[in-house]
Amino acid sequence: MTTTIDKVLLLACAAILCVLPFFVSGYVLFIVNLLMVYVVLALGLHIALGETGQFALAHIAFYGIGIYTAGIINSTWQVNVVISILAGALLAGAVGYILGALAIRMRDIYLALSTFAFGEAMQWVFLNWVSVTNGSDGYRLSPSHFFGYEFTSDVRAYPFVVVVTALILWLTVHLSRSQLGSAFRAVRESDVAAQAMGVNVNVTKRVAFMLSAAYAGLAGGLYTTFSSFIHPDSLGFQATVLILIMVVVGGIGSVRGAIAGAIIFGLISELLRQVLSFQEIIYGAILILFMMFAPKGLFGEARYAKIPIAKKTAGAAQDENNAVEHKA
Amino acid sequence: MSLADIWLFLQQGVLSGLVIGSVYALLAVAFVTVFKTTDVPNFAQGEIFMVGGYVALFMILMLNWSYWLVIPVTLVSVTLIGAVFQRVVMEKVVKSKGVAVQLVIATLGLAYVLKGVVRQTGLGDSPRSLPPMVAPDAVIIGDAFLTRLDVLIFVVSVSVMLLLFLMFRYTRTGKAMRAVGMNPRAAQIVGVNLVVIRAAVWGLAGLISAITALLIAPKILITPDIGHIAILAFAAAIVGGLSSIPGAVLGGFIIGVTENLVGLFISTNAIVVAPFLAIMIVLIIRPQGILGGKLQVKKV
Repeated sequence: MTTTIDKVLLLACAAILCVLPFFVSGYVLFIVNLLMVYVVLALGLHIALGETGQFALAHIAFYGIGIYTAGIINSTWQVNVVISILAGALLAGAVGYILGALAIRMRDIYLALSTFAFGEAMQWVFLNWVSVTNGSDGYRLSPSHFFGYEFTSDVRAYPFVVVVTALILWLTVHLSRSQLGSAFRAVRESDVAAQAMGVNVNVTKRVAFMLSAAYAGLAGGLYTTFSSFIHPDSLGFQATVLILIMVVVGGIGSVRGAIAGAIIFGLISELLRQVLSFQEIIYGAILILFMMFAPKGLFGEARYAKIPIAKKTAGAAQDENNAVEHKA
Repeated sequence: MSLADIWLFLQQGVLSGLVIGSVYALLAVAFVTVFKTTDVPNFAQGEIFMVGGYVALFMILMLNWSYWLVIPVTLVSVTLIGAVFQRVVMEKVVKSKGVAVQLVIATLGLAYVLKGVVRQTGLGDSPRSLPPMVAPDAVIIGDAFLTRLDVLIFVVSVSVMLLLFLMFRYTRTGKAMRAVGMNPRAAQIVGVNLVVIRAAVWGLAGLISAITALLIAPKILITPDIGHIAILAFAAAIVGGLSSIPGAVLGGFIIGVTENLVGLFISTNAIVVAPFLAIMIVLIIRPQGILGGKLQVKKV
């Protein structure tokens, strides 16, 4: 049932995206491009947070790594955009793997705080490594090309961005259905049970971190195809929270949710860019209300919600045991 | 840099560090109190503090009230914000599902709302300070210069910490708060009203934040984004140990002093990144923090 709806929705989206460039202005296409980038970012966080249950708050740091890597490669060597994007994704993935290796020793709040600290430190690096990132003046991204096809405008970059996003979506869904996807969800539900079933928990978490970071790096690379400027100010905690909101309000653990969240909140963020105070009040109110009345989000997985609420006894005890474990 | 300079810098750095550190320590204590009792890492801590500053600013600038009126009203209103948020929102979130992610998101929501509301008033358009509470005379300790306000900040902060210590140790409410932090079910069984205590804890955190705001707002310029300062309080709490209030105090002073020494000896640019490095180093080497000790296993 849901798969049929999904297929219909997917076809409808594809149809709209195909005809869109013939009817709308460059600005609208810019927004659509940006929404695609958000979709990739949200899918990346979905892998770490939704699938594997790792509460990481450094997503935007990897996005920044992707942007700067791809941007610098583009302007230095004028290589094919595929190479620069992949380089950004690889570097982000590598850094993500290292951060994951360090961070998986921690759980929940500690994990959140340490990745949060990493994100802030990376923003500082973007801001202060002036010789590479041009620091607080911002970095001007030069147009890239795809086998000679120059991305000089939003319209020209649009097909590429849409196709890559579609590929990423396809990859995410297949990943989720693979053995690795099952391992991710096993780890999310219970470290101990996953271990008992023969899942190598540490490797799985590290891979989740790496993939999540690589997605963000790739999103950064996509951003360089249609945008001409990046400033470290837009790579801070605010942006990480925006992606977090997309994933959580969309519905933790659901691909549909991540996409819906990315589109809804991406639009709100763009439309209310001029009136910061309204944007903040609306965000805040949505977050509070959703967490109060629909904590599963728009498309929360029923399975995930079935964990009994009375788990404060068993679940809390288990959490504490785990906390003790890592403290010992 | 001569030896005399280094000695001077050291004195100045440590004393200024203790002053600013006491602010971090207070915010860290507020954060840890809430975290210990309700298991919620309050990402709106900085914004609650920020609102304290703006409530006071609003009354002074718009209503022309004197400090004698402004101080109590600020303390009461921010305390209420904390308590009401816990009672109305957080209780409901816990009831609906209540996993760490959802709780954190709810506090992020509060942070956004508070920031948006303050921005909406227009007071935050330009950075402002509260008018000085005490004469801006210099106080010389050793070779270091402080202002009277600095001394006031330090003395009041330390007194507040002592009062909190006494409260947690000797009053019924304080003991109930500690009991809820250790084992909510057992506390409930012996007659502690969880809902009331949790709201009281959030109220207490609001009160501490408001005191902090009143102390520091005459010294620094505040903006709606000043809540960022709470990152240093997080750092302090982590360095000291997330579950330890004395740890939070110690962490606050460590962060404050380090920040000043780094600024004086290395570069002001490095100040910003120092706390994050501190967080990561502590979390990697000793995740429970300096005074975190071994977590006790809670038997249910």
